[in-house]
Amino acid sequence: MIRASVGAAFRATLKRDLLISVKRRNDILNPFMFFIIVVTLFPIGISPESAMLRQLAAGVVWISVLLASMLAMDSLYRSDYEDGSLEQLLLSSQPLYLLVFAKNIAHWLVSGLPVILVSPLLAYMLSLPADGYLTLVASLLLGTPVVGMLGSIAVALTVGLGSRGLILAVITVPMSVPVLIFGTLAVQNSLAGGSPLGYLALLGAMLAAAVSLAPVATAAALRITLN
Amino acid sequence: MAGRWQWFHRLGSPKWFYEKTTRWLPWLIGVMALLLAVGIVWALLFLPPDYQQGHTSRILVVHVAVAGASLSFFPLMAVAGTVTLVWRIKLADMVAKNAAPLGAWFTFLTLATGSIWGSVSWGTWWEWTDSRLVSMLFQFFLLLGVISLRTAIESAETAARACALLSIVGCINVVIIKYSVAWWNTLHQPPSPISMEVGSPNGPEFWVATAIMIVGVYLFLAVSLILATRNEILERENKAQWVRELALRSR
Repeated sequence: MIRASVGAAFRATLKRDLLISVKRRNDILNPFMFFIIVVTLFPIGISPESAMLRQLAAGVVWISVLLASMLAMDSLYRSDYEDGSLEQLLLSSQPLYLLVFAKNIAHWLVSGLPVILVSPLLAYMLSLPADGYLTLVASLLLGTPVVGMLGSIAVALTVGLGSRGLILAVITVPMSVPVLIFGTLAVQNSLAGGSPLGYLALLGAMLAAAVSLAPVATAAALRITLN
Repeated sequence: MAGRWQWFHRLGSPKWFYEKTTRWLPWLIGVMALLLAVGIVWALLFLPPDYQQGHTSRILVVHVAVAGASLSFFPLMAVAGTVTLVWRIKLADMVAKNAAPLGAWFTFLTLATGSIWGSVSWGTWWEWTDSRLVSMLFQFFLLLGVISLRTAIESAETAARACALLSIVGCINVVIIKYSVAWWNTLHQPPSPISMEVGSPNGPEFWVATAIMIVGVYLFLAVSLILATRNEILERENKAQWVRELALRSR
């Protein structure tokens, strides 16, 4: 038996997941379109005046990103569970932590990154002042992987359950609250002329904690639910 | 080695727990009833009105006690969850299973008593700028998540371990949520320093009543949890010999 190195297994998992996403474009497109549609609802529902929107912009973009990532989460592990490849991951001799981490990265590249790339455009439509763009994108780059990895734990706990939509929301929404707070505070602070670096550092600290702990919890959750 | 861990495994035996608590319960209930009665009567009848808050400060005696107790649920469930995951002791899961709905109820009571007090003292039932209100609300949501996960998973064994993991993750998260929400400018009063002088703000007539109430409410929590766990034991062990004998005797 040829035993692949850990790095090779990591790269193979990453490549496989990216390839599958490219072939199944709906998984990429749906959260992206959902994000854009949700953002457009806020000016219509609250107020089209730019003075009002300016104050709401950062929060609106962040909340829409959270909702879109929750929609995207549903597809995480689902097809792998249905075709049995998730069990193969558990049976493999490679550390599950790293394989799960590779899947999380692939999922973020496919569902998180496109949303972040289009967010300045939508922030412009919500008349966010120019000082806020860089901070908004930076806070999203640091914050969305945290939300994704926390959500991955919840998805792993509910994998294979029929009606899990509400459970996912009830578990992941409270967990995303700190990210939402620091993300919007960072943007508001830079709009007020202050430095957002403190809040960005906190988001970075959360990202570091999530990278080191969340895949461990996800791996444990997968071992429990698939036993 | 075997001797050192014997107490631990005996503690994990549902039968041992059931028999011990049969003997403890009357005492626990008696002390609890006494403390709650003294605390409530003291708070309602004998506590002098606060120099700032007037009669509404009486609500705080209950609110502080219930709030303190509701904070203990996630740590309790996380410890029980760790025991479930590491040693697979069934009793720990029976406690954790019943702690979740009880915790949700305590958290709800904390929010309710806090709102009633706030409606008089702050002039509002709900205030988003107060960090403790908001973090309590999210603790409530997380507890609902644990409960719904338990009901959604069919296999009892899988549900136990999944909920154990979620309780541990949730316990860490409750702490992070609490501190991150506190970054908002908060309306909630900081804990008041206690005073030994009778008649001063927060003097002994207030904090002794609160302390009695806190111990009473914690005993209420313990009694509720023990009663619920005993039910759970009878239900899960209904095939065991000793449970059948118990059922025959009580007939």
